[in-house]
Amino acid sequence: MQISPHIGSQLVDLCSALLLLTCFAIVAQRRLSACVDLFALQSAFLALTAALVAFLTGNHHIYIAAALTGVIKVIIIPRVLKKVIERLNVKRELVMNVNVPAGLLICGALVMLAFFITQPIIPLGFLLTRDSLAIALAIVLIGFFTMIARQKAVTQLVGFLVMENGLFLGATAATYGMPLIVELGVFFDVLIAALIAGIYTNRLQDAFDSVDTTHLTVLKE
Amino acid sequence: MYILLIALILCHGLGLVLPFCVPRKPQTQGIVGSVCACAASLIGITLGLSGLVAPEPVTAIVASPIPLLAFAVRLDPLASFFVLTISLAGLAASFYAMGYLKEFHGRVSVAALAALTNGFLLSMMLVVIADNGFFFLIAWELMSLASYFLVVTEHEKADVRYAGFFYLVMTHVGTAFVILTYLILFQSAGSFSFEAFRHPEQALPDGMRTLVFLAALIGFGTKAGIVPLHVWLPYAHPAAPSHISALMSGVMIKTAIYALIRVYFDFLGGQFPWWWGFLVLLVGTLSAILGVMYALMEHDLKRLLAFHSVENIGIILLGIGAGMIFQTYGLKEFAALGLLAGLYHTINHAMFKALLFLGAGSLVYATHTRNMEEYGGLLRRMPWTGLFFLIGAVSISALPPTNGFVSEWLVFQTLFLSFQFPDLFLKLMLPIAAAILALTGVLALACFAKAFGISFLALPRSAHARHAEEVPTSMRIGMAIPALLCVGLGLAPMIVVPLLDRITAPLTGVSISDKVLALDGWALAPVNMEFSSVSPPMLAAMLILGGLLGLTLAFLFGGRMVKRYYKTWGCGINLSPRMEYTATGFVQPIKRVFSTIYQPTIKLETEFLQESRYFAKQRKFEFHIEPVFEKYLYNPVVHIFMRIADRLRILQAGSLHLYLAYIFVTLVVLLLFAV
Repeated sequence: MQISPHIGSQLVDLCSALLLLTCFAIVAQRRLSACVDLFALQSAFLALTAALVAFLTGNHHIYIAAALTGVIKVIIIPRVLKKVIERLNVKRELVMNVNVPAGLLICGALVMLAFFITQPIIPLGFLLTRDSLAIALAIVLIGFFTMIARQKAVTQLVGFLVMENGLFLGATAATYGMPLIVELGVFFDVLIAALIAGIYTNRLQDAFDSVDTTHLTVLKE
Repeated sequence: MYILLIALILCHGLGLVLPFCVPRKPQTQGIVGSVCACAASLIGITLGLSGLVAPEPVTAIVASPIPLLAFAVRLDPLASFFVLTISLAGLAASFYAMGYLKEFHGRVSVAALAALTNGFLLSMMLVVIADNGFFFLIAWELMSLASYFLVVTEHEKADVRYAGFFYLVMTHVGTAFVILTYLILFQSAGSFSFEAFRHPEQALPDGMRTLVFLAALIGFGTKAGIVPLHVWLPYAHPAAPSHISALMSGVMIKTAIYALIRVYFDFLGGQFPWWWGFLVLLVGTLSAILGVMYALMEHDLKRLLAFHSVENIGIILLGIGAGMIFQTYGLKEFAALGLLAGLYHTINHAMFKALLFLGAGSLVYATHTRNMEEYGGLLRRMPWTGLFFLIGAVSISALPPTNGFVSEWLVFQTLFLSFQFPDLFLKLMLPIAAAILALTGVLALACFAKAFGISFLALPRSAHARHAEEVPTSMRIGMAIPALLCVGLGLAPMIVVPLLDRITAPLTGVSISDKVLALDGWALAPVNMEFSSVSPPMLAAMLILGGLLGLTLAFLFGGRMVKRYYKTWGCGINLSPRMEYTATGFVQPIKRVFSTIYQPTIKLETEFLQESRYFAKQRKFEFHIEPVFEKYLYNPVVHIFMRIADRLRILQAGSLHLYLAYIFVTLVVLLLFAV
């Protein structure tokens, strides 16, 4: 089956836009378990995008990356995070460094910034995924912003994973994915990072009776 | 030679690994490490001696994948001499360590201590045989780090941590200047190999040469402990375990002397303006006199010895500085004499300072204190330690027939030769330096009269000293090795001088051994017999004969010998240790005379009886001298840094979010700039 490049490009853009949309949902969501669910959804969209790119370009190794995304980011990591949340008995994020409306506005500004920055680069590209680059950058920035805006370790972890998703999308968009060996390494890293952060969150709970990372300031001399 | 070199590195390598492999008994770990170090030192002695007499320098090179770095070694006479010195001190210290490490059982990891000692010795060895600037810097840094970790062996004590930190900061400031030196040389040479430094592609301009001179003097001077960069020495050397103090004070600071000679006479080709030599001479004079003066006021035996290292580095630099001035004026024979005197004093100081630090270690081992006021009467309890310490004290005070006398005499002769200069200023300055050196010698004698007398003679002043016992055999052997060498090096200049001549001849271009030695080597006469000459073996013979003569006369005319055992007469009062001279009291006159330099603070509080002011109930005496350099030179600099750091601390709030925000803002700003 052949799809015209134009429609293919539109489909990729659509999937990327869905990714971005879930980002906003994560920023707006206070419930921790819902945040994790949204992350799983975003990863599912990412896997879909990757599979789409693999289908459109015929680069079969991207299928493997897509499958790994499906397994690790949609199933394993959300499970680990759910377990952590269950054990901690923390359901909601009550206090935020930046409240939700202001956060959404800032995220809007970040998306504009991302498009503004990539504007001179995108016309130079010739891949059908080139428009996704701006979205990928926006996702990275929003993920980063989530890490700053939220106080609970779990949501910071989600922010980190969102950033990683953005990077993956960026890599796919700019070069049709990195070499397979690099992708595998990155997946492994993310998995380990999530596990470590899970343990770290547990320790934080034990030490401070809370997963609020602002408590870490007392570690300063 | 290559086999020796490989064996040396292998032995130290084994010493690094084996202590961790043997069963977890500190005794075995310590002995395994020390035996490795002993074996390596014996190989090193052979290597050094054969390198000294070898007709051509031995070189070896192992290429490395890193650009500019090559593991190149070269054993020319200069390097071999320092290999020999390091190995001799290393042998003494490792023998000593076998017994001494018991002091640390159960408190610190003996395996780590033994392994680090091996690493320290190896890194010093690599510093002096390196033939590549990059390799040299790596070895230099390894040496600094190994010695740092050894200094903080007893890291549970706050003052040891302070000493370690002080040392680490100072040594890295020095290293920065050392790197600067090598970078400038590299720029003109186009390569880091020492051969390229010697024959650069384009010659260094004069300004750059001056920069190399100054950077090397500051960089290596920090390690050597020249005034005013000496402040770390009295902290770091006493804090380390004693056999490490012996190595640091005896040989580590000498690697800086090696590097100075290497840079000035080898890389810069011995071509320099007169003020370079004069500056070295000035620094040497200041170090010598101030070192001994501060040493006099110390009652902590190891701190006292550390200050004496400053003094002796000063004496070595006096010889080298005078040699440099002679070199400028083309008086090559005298230049060689100055260098020779400096190098002779280098090995001599390595021996007697190692001996004294090992002796001090034995005292600490037996009494568990470093405070001299708590010693006393130890000669009867520790006769061997006393004998060895006395030999060391006689050596460092430059009395015949020991080695200190010969080398200091040679330094004096070099300084007296200044009448050869065309310049009136220098004609005046060198004799003044000689006069100050004479004062230094006298004060050193006073200092060791105090150190030996207060520690070993009279009655014990504390329970520690009363219960002291002689140290184990391995420690005594460790002290006997440098003690024998102290006497041997003093009696046999006819062997030492020709060997040293092999070092100075290529550096200055003339061989002087037959000119320095007269009467088939039995006398030293730097210029000719009429000007000045001395024969150390003859002096020793005369001392012995004089002593025998006195005994004979006493035996002949002294009447019948009657032995009576009774307490020392004390005018009817029972003698108590409180009547003895204290170390503080001993140096009181000198403190008065030099009060401008010491700026002492004396506090005397007397509490009188209520009935009459003629009877004192209690007296409290306190005195301390002003650490001038720390107060006026170092503290202001430290304050500036602390203030800047305080300002910068606002950034470091400890909040994870804030740190993330820093990164985020930086990222966004950079992205905006990129567009």
